[in-house]
Amino acid sequence: MKHRKLSQRQKWGIFFISPWVIFFLVFQIYPFLLAFKNSFLDINILQPEKARFVGFWNWIQAAADPLFWKSMFNICYNQAIYIVLSFIIGLTFALLLKEVLSKGGIFRTIYFLPVITSITVAMIVFKYISSPTGPIQALMLQWGMIKEPVFWASTKWLPMPVIAVFNSWKWFGVYMLIFLGGLVSINQQLYEAADIDGAGWLNKFFRITIPLLKPQIVFVLTMNIINGLQMFTEVLMTFDLYGGRYNSALTPVLYMYAKAFDKMEMGDASALGLLLGLIIYTLTMVQMKLLNRGTEEV
Amino acid sequence: MEMAYKKKQMQKIFIYAVLVLCAIVVIYPFFYMVMNSFKTGPEIQHNPTALPQGLSFAGYTGMFDTLNVPLLFFNTTLVAGILTLLNTFISAMVAYGIVKTDVPGKKILFRIILASMMIPGILLTIPTYMMMYSWDWINTYRVLIFPGSVSAYNIFLVIQFMKQVDDAYLEAARIDGAGEWDIFCKIVLPMCKPVLATVFILAFMGAWNDLFGPLLYIRDKSLWTLQLGLYRFNTSTPGTYLEQIYAAMTFITIPVVIVFLFLQKNFIKAFTGIGLK
Repeated sequence: MKHRKLSQRQKWGIFFISPWVIFFLVFQIYPFLLAFKNSFLDINILQPEKARFVGFWNWIQAAADPLFWKSMFNICYNQAIYIVLSFIIGLTFALLLKEVLSKGGIFRTIYFLPVITSITVAMIVFKYISSPTGPIQALMLQWGMIKEPVFWASTKWLPMPVIAVFNSWKWFGVYMLIFLGGLVSINQQLYEAADIDGAGWLNKFFRITIPLLKPQIVFVLTMNIINGLQMFTEVLMTFDLYGGRYNSALTPVLYMYAKAFDKMEMGDASALGLLLGLIIYTLTMVQMKLLNRGTEEV
Repeated sequence: MEMAYKKKQMQKIFIYAVLVLCAIVVIYPFFYMVMNSFKTGPEIQHNPTALPQGLSFAGYTGMFDTLNVPLLFFNTTLVAGILTLLNTFISAMVAYGIVKTDVPGKKILFRIILASMMIPGILLTIPTYMMMYSWDWINTYRVLIFPGSVSAYNIFLVIQFMKQVDDAYLEAARIDGAGEWDIFCKIVLPMCKPVLATVFILAFMGAWNDLFGPLLYIRDKSLWTLQLGLYRFNTSTPGTYLEQIYAAMTFITIPVVIVFLFLQKNFIKAFTGIGLK
């Protein structure tokens, strides 16, 4: 083995990156290994010394738990609506703002206000606004969209779509900005050339805009899967630890939280967390493969 | 030509009309919140959507009796402040290490930092909690600060920016005999101000608005943050003291809005450059 002495600048380099290395090992690698270990134990946080090895029992229990799959179904139901809504709204506003670029600053600011508001505050306000006595339902009654006030939080199917609408309001500003950044960087001459060829609006949109926005689209969808499937605060604010009546707002993270801190079953909760992490990771990879098909790796 | 110009004008007017209309929809919940914070309790209950009949400050004064607002404010500011400074400084340090020094294996390090953004945070919640529990970090300020003191995304943002800083400045300083630490603090940090402002506001917003952290780790009332205080207040007395809840929400939201308005340009940059390499 050849011993190479580190140069002064290499030593400085190690010094500069050391905070991240320490953080990565202590707060990411170690907890990950711990989660893995705990998922094979029957462990109570108050008496960790009494932990018992149970093999794959926690995993089997998690995978066979109907409530876990109910929560997975709920979050997919929610995300299916949310992704479509926020994508369309975000892209539409990016296209509109691009037309008024220099004077659009004030709109950008306003549309971004929901993003900087805390979920806690936004959700409480939203709950009152969307309540049976609130302004939204009053308006819907007036316009004949609904016949009578709806207690949506205690229905079987409404909580997830309503929260999807709330989240689209809260987060579309981010998508709008990301798409706007992409739109501005598209070479204007492409559109001019298309105009000369007599291409219509739709043609330009699908042949130029969408393909050239691909990096942004990939980023948005990927981050969406990672963050969206981890929804927690929104449902905690409106429902109990088990997602209200019918468990119709139970999300996987909420369930994990309930398992850990209501039932005190840390091993179970660890297995649930890992299972969810595994699902998110698989989905992300599949999605990236699909979206990157046909393009070369950069 | 005239026709085309007219058509363009009409189109512009239409776009502005849509933008204004949607701005009203987006801003309405904020308006609703602020408006109700100046009403009395019964007024909110009976007439939630109407404009206030007179300015009532009962919510704002009452909120101080129900919640120890100065303490909550102090806790939140302390935690968010230290976390933000740490996060910003560490992001700059690590980025400097990767971009401007000869740290061994910098390509692999960069890849790992990128990949670590993909780890779903939730996967680590339970084990981190157990770790904190066994370290006796429950009910401390540090448990709210350190787990958020490093973020891969912020490091990534600073790296992208620092790549554009010309090495010639650094070389010149090295020839003059400046040490790496001095070069970092006195030359590179000032040059990176725009991206550091971006990172600053991202970290601040995350820390100020966080409910999950305090909810997990803080039982002791003297360590509550504003978000946790609001959450506990809202769940403990559903439907009563409405005016105080609206006042508290307005009060909590204002600091973030102020910081956002000041650093807006940098904040917007945090999202617009995505996908561009």
